[in-house]
Amino acid sequence: MREVYVLGIGQTVFGKHEEKTPNDLGAAAALAAFKDAEISPKEMQTAYCGSIFGPATVVQATLIRLGISKIPMYTVENACASGSSAVHLLFKDIAYGVCDVGLAFGVESLSTHHRKFGKALIGIEGDLQAKLSLTMPSFFAALCNRLMEERGAKLEDICYPSIKNHKNGVTNPYSQYKKEFTFQEIMNSPMIANPITTLQCCPQSDGAAAVILCSKETYKKLNKKTHRPAVKLAASVISVGGPEDSSYDPLALETNIRGAADACEMAGIEASKDIDVVEMHDAFSGEELSAYEMLGLCPPGEGVEFARSGAAALGGRCPVNPSGGLLSMGHPLGASGVRVVIDTARQLWGEAGANQVDGAKVGMAQMLGGVLTGIESPVVAGIQILTK
Amino acid sequence: MSNQVVFHAGALEKEGDTLVQIGFRCDHCGKTSFPVSELCPFCSFEKGVKTRLSNEGTLFSYSITRVPVGPYKPPIIAGYIDLPEGVRVFGKIQADIEVVRTGMRLRMETGVLWTEKDGTEVVGYYYVPCENKNGGKES
Repeated sequence: MREVYVLGIGQTVFGKHEEKTPNDLGAAAALAAFKDAEISPKEMQTAYCGSIFGPATVVQATLIRLGISKIPMYTVENACASGSSAVHLLFKDIAYGVCDVGLAFGVESLSTHHRKFGKALIGIEGDLQAKLSLTMPSFFAALCNRLMEERGAKLEDICYPSIKNHKNGVTNPYSQYKKEFTFQEIMNSPMIANPITTLQCCPQSDGAAAVILCSKETYKKLNKKTHRPAVKLAASVISVGGPEDSSYDPLALETNIRGAADACEMAGIEASKDIDVVEMHDAFSGEELSAYEMLGLCPPGEGVEFARSGAAALGGRCPVNPSGGLLSMGHPLGASGVRVVIDTARQLWGEAGANQVDGAKVGMAQMLGGVLTGIESPVVAGIQILTK
Repeated sequence: MSNQVVFHAGALEKEGDTLVQIGFRCDHCGKTSFPVSELCPFCSFEKGVKTRLSNEGTLFSYSITRVPVGPYKPPIIAGYIDLPEGVRVFGKIQADIEVVRTGMRLRMETGVLWTEKDGTEVVGYYYVPCENKNGGKES
């Protein structure tokens, strides 16, 4: 396998862009990535776009606006790991020598989606359990109940990632929210599914993010940002859950555990020792709390203690979501899997400003999504490890 | 009599006068799956027997949703119920919120889940507490 390098990144501000189409958002993020890399879009040999709600052919409609055509391009859907999957497929193309340089971007306009289908909790269309009221909040509310029963988490622990991430988001120029919240304010916000309140949920967002990846030889040829340390995508894994039976425990979700372990092995690192920063899927505050142990940042069963020790905060042993995460940054579904990769690259380049993790050398970007009948849910994780 | 349909194809089958959940027990791996799919979801084997699932199970985990979801009005109590066959089923729970707790015994019942605008009644399963003393609204 060949080494894969990050050549440039770009994104829109995440938030409400009701006047913009998905193609507008995607083109803005992709253009920002080309300007960041200081290269022509004509250099691209392939392109992938992650998006859940489209529209169809969003990748071609977006990229023709930048003069990109006549190359293989694909739109990929993989729940909240759609953007991760776009990055992963581009990574594979470059690692295995299919091409030397390409673009992965992700885009979502939930404003557009809501105009068409109304604003409501989203269940998977046609799924048996969704017809019986299963939604992402109800799934993660059940997970929070298990965190309290099995891990001794208090409501303060469940809310901690939301408090931390909203604080981080205040200084992120791309963040949807720029406001801190106290435990009491979070618990006083409207209840969605006990114990999950509105401020423990990520907002619904519009936005796009893009990354240009390339081989080592192409990096040497095209890289204009010579002041930046070279950042590699050292591992990329998409892991999917198995059939569900009554032995399954969402606190030990195999997609997260196996995905993280496989990615660490591929990158030749040890999660608890080597990872300096994590950007991950915190669609719900309790979800982040449950993930620390699954991603290998601490031993199994010790995630609550990991949080209480301050390890996940900026200045801690392994800051998690120093960007503000989905909770504060926002969550344009297809874009987030790309956004976690580019925020991790920013950290390794030392370009994260007030949100910088000092001396970050190794970072993990993770996404998780989809709750379905008959499969250990959430059903798909995307995990990438970046190193310098 | 109003028109009735089952909420999801294959989720319930008629057995005499009652509707029951039918799973599939694989001849190869021995695992039971629900609903019945083309091949065993655990081992992809084709041969096995259709088997009626137990009516009673244990609540693995649950949630109480406080906003409307599709046709359902809040509060919506729902959870994952573990059956003796090793199957985990998701369903709504009809009970007083105060009595719902992890590990409680629940029994499946069937009835109208919602009514479509044209009057069609959509029938499905839901769960009630096994013991009256736990406050279950048993019919």
